[in-house]
Amino acid sequence: MTVMSPASADLKHLYYQMLRIRRAEEAIARRYAEQQMRCPTHLCIGEEAIAVGVSAHLTVQDKVFSNHRGHGHYLAKGGDLPRLLAELYGFAEGCCGGRGGSMHLTDLEAGFVASTPIVGGTVPLAAGYAWAEKIKQKAVEGHRNVVVIFFGDGCFEEGVMHETLNFAVLKQLPLLFICENNQYSVMTALAERQPKRDIYPIAAAHGLTAVNGDGNRVDEVYELARVAVANARNGLGPQFLELHTHRWPEHCGPNEDDDLGYRSPGELAEWKLRCPLLQTRQMLLAKQLSNDTELAQMETQLAEEIEQAFEWALQGTRPTIDSMGQHLYA
Amino acid sequence: MRDLKMMTYGEAIREALDDALAQFPDMLLIGEGVPDPKTIFGTTQGLREKYGAERVLDMPLAENGMTGICIGAALAGMRPVLVHQRIDFALLSVDQLVNNAAKWHYMFDGQQKVPLVIRVIIGRGWGQGPQHSQSLQAMFAQVPGLKVVMPTTAGDAYHFMLAAIADNNPVLFIEHRWLHHIIGEVDKQAPAAGLDGAAVMREGRDVTLAAFSHMSIEALKAATTLAEHGIDAEVLDMRCVSALDIESVAASLAKTGGKLLIADCAPEMASSGHQLLSKLVLAHGDSLKQAPRLIVYPNHPVPTSHYVANHYYPGAEQIASAVLEMLGRSELTASVIGALQSDLPKDQPDRSFVGPF
Repeated sequence: MTVMSPASADLKHLYYQMLRIRRAEEAIARRYAEQQMRCPTHLCIGEEAIAVGVSAHLTVQDKVFSNHRGHGHYLAKGGDLPRLLAELYGFAEGCCGGRGGSMHLTDLEAGFVASTPIVGGTVPLAAGYAWAEKIKQKAVEGHRNVVVIFFGDGCFEEGVMHETLNFAVLKQLPLLFICENNQYSVMTALAERQPKRDIYPIAAAHGLTAVNGDGNRVDEVYELARVAVANARNGLGPQFLELHTHRWPEHCGPNEDDDLGYRSPGELAEWKLRCPLLQTRQMLLAKQLSNDTELAQMETQLAEEIEQAFEWALQGTRPTIDSMGQHLYA
Repeated sequence: MRDLKMMTYGEAIREALDDALAQFPDMLLIGEGVPDPKTIFGTTQGLREKYGAERVLDMPLAENGMTGICIGAALAGMRPVLVHQRIDFALLSVDQLVNNAAKWHYMFDGQQKVPLVIRVIIGRGWGQGPQHSQSLQAMFAQVPGLKVVMPTTAGDAYHFMLAAIADNNPVLFIEHRWLHHIIGEVDKQAPAAGLDGAAVMREGRDVTLAAFSHMSIEALKAATTLAEHGIDAEVLDMRCVSALDIESVAASLAKTGGKLLIADCAPEMASSGHQLLSKLVLAHGDSLKQAPRLIVYPNHPVPTSHYVANHYYPGAEQIASAVLEMLGRSELTASVIGALQSDLPKDQPDRSFVGPF
């Protein structure tokens, strides 16, 4: 398909958002070795373009649901960085008060409802949220809030995925299914789990609009998401994007794991050449939309923001032992 | 002012759903068969016509997905009531119930809530068989964050349903199919129910019968016949399974000389009676003066054939016999059992019930 580039200011903004996620994840990876972030942490380095390209079209009223690898989705939607870090450290100031850690994030003010780590767990919740939005907003002509669910290729194997697709189409929900196909479920390759065929036509067979694209090209993600979000807003029902990408670090934890040999030789190196940030940076420079000085300023600005976020998070307080039993019931 | 009406348990459920749909504009009523011609044994009759197809609706056969969808709708401010015609079907939704609904408020530090009711029905008789008649209440009651109730009377069915819908937590509302036709008093003006506490169905001083759901009806039958033989049994309905009211049991035992019989509509290994006993002994170790008795189903599924299934379910006769043994009054057994015996086929709760059900 023809890819229309986002406006120049948008491309720079998209780059900045991706860079912010990348640098935050790298900082988490560096500090993780200090053994103070004592929770399973799934970094999204290499996959930043999808979260950023989709969220660029969302308002605060739009809602996002995510999964175990959710830092990028949370940050792209406007989730609070210091509270994310405090959550990783298990402090009361964390976005879940230390109840959830990396795999359970929320920032209701930003419209990021929740991420949870049972694969498929949040998929029907997103549809239910969209269903409620549709019921409540039926009087609003021509514009409605949308809900986005981010999930991976592994999730597409879950029954609840297809139960949700069926209902979403049945009720024509304002819902975006964003499949981040990174080809691996933990360390198990797609070829061992699914037959050799694309994912998006299976979704399309449920009766919705489904397309696929390069999840490492933020301009492509941006354009596909622009159309999908507009369709969902305008009452054309649920939309499905299968976006191809690759996770660089190990499944869970701060390290690289290419030495384990579950990826094909050279596979990771090839994907690194297709780094979403690298490609966007080249585009910005080639089109003279930015320059080395400006890009360096971005780095400085982000380094400061992330450093300050860590400083704030590290001053967090421990949840009291007495608080541990609270909030079992509302 | 009391507004007393006599109605069946099933009618009380329908009345409660009707009144809740009127009271809560965000309530949704969804389930396989909810608006179909049989309307979940009549319990959802007329509600779609009155409140519209957007709020009262059928659903795809996707119990886990639909449970998650109802949780999502609840997070967005709706009050869904999801109905399964058999509790067995709810097993397909255990992931969403246990991993999400029960934990959501806790794991997001109280920032979000899930006002969700799951209505499930325990089947029995007319060959319901191994997968349409399970008693899973104790299993679900083991999940922190999930409220599990099994009201027995029409009055409780009405008020517990309203309370469950008003509650901001997930509530598993368990009905026994053999309660639906039983007539009872419903006082709509009675104060709103909490989802806790046992109910004293009959006062007595000789023995405490603590029973669950349909077995409370059997205990009441046994107590009525025992009373004709001079034995005065107290019957407690343990209607809140996830918050067993041990204090009421202990208070009753103080009156009845520490003699306790528990009757549950579940296989022995799946009975909430064990938890009741354990909690009672831990909290009131001296309340029992005699070894307690547990009247429950055998530890295997119920077969379909009525020739054998009729011998699976204990009832008033077994409860009464056990009481007489506990009281050392076995000389009355033949007379009491004779009075309790009926020529009604045992896979049928009442002559008005005609298969299939």
